[in-house]
Amino acid sequence: MTFPPDVLPLASIGAMRPVFMIVMGAFLLLTAWRMTRGTSGWTPRILLTGAFLLAVGYAVVMPLYQAGILVPLSQVGPATDDLASPVLWHLVKVVSMNGGWLTFGVGLALHAGLFETEKSPAPVEAPSSSPAHGPVI
Amino acid sequence: MDLLFKFFITNGFLLDAVGVIGLGLLGLAAVRLSQRYRSWGGSLLTIGAMLLLLGRLAVLVIPHVMTPGLVAAFGHTAAEIITLAPFALLTAGLAGVVWGLWGHEQWLRAEH
Repeated sequence: MTFPPDVLPLASIGAMRPVFMIVMGAFLLLTAWRMTRGTSGWTPRILLTGAFLLAVGYAVVMPLYQAGILVPLSQVGPATDDLASPVLWHLVKVVSMNGGWLTFGVGLALHAGLFETEKSPAPVEAPSSSPAHGPVI
Repeated sequence: MDLLFKFFITNGFLLDAVGVIGLGLLGLAAVRLSQRYRSWGGSLLTIGAMLLLLGRLAVLVIPHVMTPGLVAAFGHTAAEIITLAPFALLTAGLAGVVWGLWGHEQWLRAEH
């Protein structure tokens, strides 16, 4: 079985990775929304904010970079006169990815109760002096 | 202004640190979920967060470590593999995090 030569690159890693990231970003946002549906408070808000930032970063900004539509800041020459647009896109990418992971991590930590002190699993009881528990004479 | 620009944007140290800290928090929270609440999604989430953390650290470190002399010592193929390995880690980690979050959501639904 032979493939036409213009179809084969579509199955390469370089072509699959943006699609993978778009699907993963959207699914992350959808799962976080389903998880926090019907709850209120600051934890779902932080979790959803993080998931939204990550979805923007993974589903919009990173595929644009991989498709070559946006040029990375490190490849823009210093003599370029239009420096504002690459810098702003770089800022959007860095803030959405790093800030997204931080917000999502904090949200999940709050959800898991990471910042709460764990109660002692052993019940603490005062020594009882009732005859039912006392030593049998 | 130029110093601030370099510190925040060109080098990006602060924001990279923020991202790594967030990934660490995510891993800790996933460990807590899988240990205390016995959520099977938490285990996957832990694996995904660890892979992402490893990949992210490798992405940050490799440009400083892989000097041309080291590349020549490794040979072309090995150096290429080492340079591309973080992206495989990042891809697998993202998949693990998303799958784990989905599993945790299913677990929450079954539990309540």
